[in-house]
Amino acid sequence: MRHPEIDTWNGKARDPDLSVLDMEKWPGRTTLRAIMGWNGIKVWDKTVDAVALLAAYLEKTKDESCGQCTPCRLGTVQMAGLAKGLTQGRGKTEDLTRLKFLAVQISRTARCDIGRTLARPVLDLMESFSKDFEAAARGTKRVEEGQAYTSLVTAPCVAACPSHVDVPFYLENIRMDRWSEAMDKVREDCPMPGTIGRVCVRPCETRCRRGNLDEALAIKGLKRFLADREMEGKLTPKPLAPPKRPERVAIVGAGPAGLSCAYYLGRQGIKTTIFEAQEGPGGMAAYGIPSYRLPRSVIAHEAAGVEALGAVIRYNTRVGRDITLEDLAGQGYKAVFVGAGAPGPTRMNCKGEDQGYENFMPGVDFLARAARGEKPLNGDRVAVVGGGNVAMDCVRTARRLGFTDVNLIYRRTEAEMPADALEIKEAREEGVNFHMLMAPIEVQADADGKVSGLKCLRMELGEPDKSGRRRPVPIEGSEFVIACDAVIPAIGQACAVDQFLPQAVVSEWNTLVADKTTGQTQVPHIFGGGDCATGPDILIRALAAGKYGAKSIVRYLDTGDCTPGPEDLMEALTGNPALFETDPPLPYPGVTRREEASVLAPETRIQSFDEVEAGLSPAQARQEANRCLRCYRILVAAL
Amino acid sequence: MPILSINHNSLEFQPGMTILEVARKNNIHIPTLCHLAGCTPTGQCRICVVEVGGTDELLPACETPAGEGMKIMTHSPGVHEARKTIIEMLVASGAHNCLVMQSPADSWNSDQKGIMEQPWHGGLCPAYGDCRLQDLAVEYDVHVKEDHLAWEGHPLDDATPIIVRDFSRCILCGRCVQACNDVQVNLAITPPWGRRADHPEGWYPAADYEACTHCGECVQACPVGALFDRKSFGKALANEMDHIRTTCPYCGVGCQLLLHVKDGKILKVTGVEDGSPNKGRLCVKGRFGFDFIYSEERLTSPLIKENGEFRKASWDEALDLVAQKFTTIIQESGPDALAGVSCARSINEDSYQMQKLFRAVFKTNNIDHCART
Ligand SMILES: Cc1cc2nc3c(=O)[nH]c(=O)nc-3n(C[C@H](O)[C@H](O)[C@H](O)COP(=O)(O)OP(=O)(O)OC[C@H]3O[C@@H](n4cnc5c(N)ncnc54)[C@H](O)[C@@H]3O)c2cc1C
Ligand code: SF4
Ligand code: SF4
Repeated sequence: MRHPEIDTWNGKARDPDLSVLDMEKWPGRTTLRAIMGWNGIKVWDKTVDAVALLAAYLEKTKDESCGQCTPCRLGTVQMAGLAKGLTQGRGKTEDLTRLKFLAVQISRTARCDIGRTLARPVLDLMESFSKDFEAAARGTKRVEEGQAYTSLVTAPCVAACPSHVDVPFYLENIRMDRWSEAMDKVREDCPMPGTIGRVCVRPCETRCRRGNLDEALAIKGLKRFLADREMEGKLTPKPLAPPKRPERVAIVGAGPAGLSCAYYLGRQGIKTTIFEAQEGPGGMAAYGIPSYRLPRSVIAHEAAGVEALGAVIRYNTRVGRDITLEDLAGQGYKAVFVGAGAPGPTRMNCKGEDQGYENFMPGVDFLARAARGEKPLNGDRVAVVGGGNVAMDCVRTARRLGFTDVNLIYRRTEAEMPADALEIKEAREEGVNFHMLMAPIEVQADADGKVSGLKCLRMELGEPDKSGRRRPVPIEGSEFVIACDAVIPAIGQACAVDQFLPQAVVSEWNTLVADKTTGQTQVPHIFGGGDCATGPDILIRALAAGKYGAKSIVRYLDTGDCTPGPEDLMEALTGNPALFETDPPLPYPGVTRREEASVLAPETRIQSFDEVEAGLSPAQARQEANRCLRCYRILVAAL
Repeated sequence: MPILSINHNSLEFQPGMTILEVARKNNIHIPTLCHLAGCTPTGQCRICVVEVGGTDELLPACETPAGEGMKIMTHSPGVHEARKTIIEMLVASGAHNCLVMQSPADSWNSDQKGIMEQPWHGGLCPAYGDCRLQDLAVEYDVHVKEDHLAWEGHPLDDATPIIVRDFSRCILCGRCVQACNDVQVNLAITPPWGRRADHPEGWYPAADYEACTHCGECVQACPVGALFDRKSFGKALANEMDHIRTTCPYCGVGCQLLLHVKDGKILKVTGVEDGSPNKGRLCVKGRFGFDFIYSEERLTSPLIKENGEFRKASWDEALDLVAQKFTTIIQESGPDALAGVSCARSINEDSYQMQKLFRAVFKTNNIDHCART
């Protein structure tokens, strides 16, 4: 990796690992000559025209200023004008003093971080290139023509979101009761806001800066608030009328990744056909996630939104069985996006699991059949193996299907459980028994081949393993049997894209091998992403894969090539949390509480699959949105 | 109770109070422009910034929670410089002709003449002498060269009969936005803020007259001379008017009015900010419906119609005539041939008397109130 020639980022206190900046390896072969942003400057090429870079940075900052506070609204106009004057040889020496003065004043007094983060890069740049600035002020500096710039506006929450939803924008618009504008913005990066607003694992909230003060913003809940208003027909979205394009694109799978790709291609006027093996849309969001967390009507609404943009979904059509990739090429589809998910079961490696016993069923199959209204397993007592969200969905679904004795078996302790803390709490409230530090060794059955119990071993925690969690080790001679009528392993899913894809794009784990940034595979017209490429993952990453896949497909259709551009490099760069780490603590106490939606009582909710959580009210939403600190960060780069 | 210090004085405060609230409770003056009592602070104008120990940033007193042990300085040199910079920017951002009028007319340059020639700028600003920005400019000794004023290109909305919105004087404090949406909840002024790149036309808080009820809450909230009452424009300076508190006569709510009076004539009405029941709020009638009292067409004595023509009469004569006609009607057609409608502008006691008159004296239940008819 090249080292910057000048580097003031983080005040040099600590050089964040910007390995993504290993620009020689970047597929776009874009290189950045210098960046300036909230935490300083990094200059790889000292011949960069710093005066012009400053002008570009201030022009961008001026454009991002939101008009609310005086210093940023009026001060950035003054600064941008002065910097432009310098580049045009109209500068005066006192302009340099004034620029520095305004930079400090705006940073000290502005309302949000657009203005507050301005002094550091401006002062660092003006100091590091003081000779150039003095020459420009005297009118003796050679002005470089044609230097190109790229810029990016982000925030800790935005950077943490795999799809980079502009969180502060929509929060602020909710605060101002401008719901339609808020939703238009959300939909630029998230095609399933009702789904994500309910079940996202919310990486944004864990990085929300307000969390350092009192409690993180309810970013997820506020997205759902908008989605609820949209379903009520209360929003007036800005009409999308892209010019129609002749190309057609085929998509494998109407799960989140496939729907997202179709949605964003539709926004570009490109027609798509989605081939879906099952009888309805949504993939794991519909046939995995139970409806008490995500009502089916929400998925139907969101899939309809994709169809409204010109996508046709062909249900009950499995690619590889009912139609092949070659057939698709023959039918004139110019590109294929694969979003086939990770539907296969994984093995527990315990005796009896492949004996075909009655009442033994992998978690995803159990949930899919329950989602179709069946009661797939019989009896009163069930044992579910696993500690993730799928296991939580299984135990809570089992309660709703009438199992009275529901047991969760997990190898480590609750502290290591990957499941969401709220899910664990709610499962407990619903009467699920948790058995920690236990591993199954044998599924037992009676003479008729019906499950009769699960033999387990007790465990204790040993040394930490690769993932940093302490490894569970069995306690000799601690075997015992949990008597039960059904066993559900819920320990993960596997991919199976080898069933229809050429060998060249399939890894040894049966996942799709595609470029992380573009989604393109070795076969240029095949793209893909979501769980089929990553293994079981999270919804928003699948949606992001669909969005970026669509972007690359459009590039590919336009130019035959889909090399990522400078803006993709900037996005990859800001995905690095190290860039944000030096935010100083906020100098005042946190006194606000996060608004919480109401939930059904445990006794009521186990009676049915009705949605557990209600949405936020308009008053709550406004109150909650008002807590956002607008931690916007601007990064401008010279190319 | 937790303690903080302001300007080296230790003060107790209730958790949850803002720095501004603590300061005001202790009679420490911190200037504000955008802060609107009773609304969630928006922190927009930044005039109330103060120094807080431990950070280089200046924090807005209006929305920063008070914290245990905070060391606050409300008037340090840094604070003074920051406020002065902000006031300079605000003064320079519009067509504030009070600055121009400080110098003699024959010395005006073309910019100054341009400002004076703008509509509603020929004379003194309607806020002159009662302008928060002007006060601050004086207090902080702000001077802006007239040729730095960004006076051109601001929209003007003077198409309606009551309120003029002259955005060339608007400082974008957002008080009218909150007054309309949060106080009156008429939702006529959509918050205009958002990225400059998305708002090439600027952020003027324009009113949507489909939703506007012309209550004038926005006018009362405007701290400068951007929003004003067309009828009182140019009639008097703020310091020339007496203020008389009274009760609004229009309906039974009893809102408290402040009459702005010069030479015995009402020129303007505002709500009494801390007076119950309205706490400063008024409707269109109470605020703007005052000039009828000077109408030439106003009746000053009873009139009796004879042969299709009205003639003046005394009260006695008129009331005798009414009594006589009522008696005849009751004798001929019975009491139910009469009906009474009491006026919303009469006080409760008068309305009570009115129904007594109809029920007990005339012996009819035909009595109602104009607000129901
Ligand atoms: C029980 C469960 C609970 C979960 N809970 C959460 C949660 O709370 N929050 C969260 O963020 N994530 C959650 N996830 C993960 C999330 O659902 C997935 O990451 C996401 O659905 C992946 O989307 P995808 O489009 O890549 O794949 P999928 O959702 O699996 O969709 C793939 C689609 O492709 C179809 N398909 C497959 N092969 C073919 C073929 N050959 N031809 C035609 N169609 C085909 C499938 O039928 C399916 O409809 C959960 C997953 C499960 C299983
Ligand atoms: S406070 Fe707002 S902008 Fe800042 S990280 Fe949280 S949600 Fe994002
Ligand atoms: S007059 Fe009343 S309703 Fe009309 S804009 Fe002003 S505050 Fe809103």
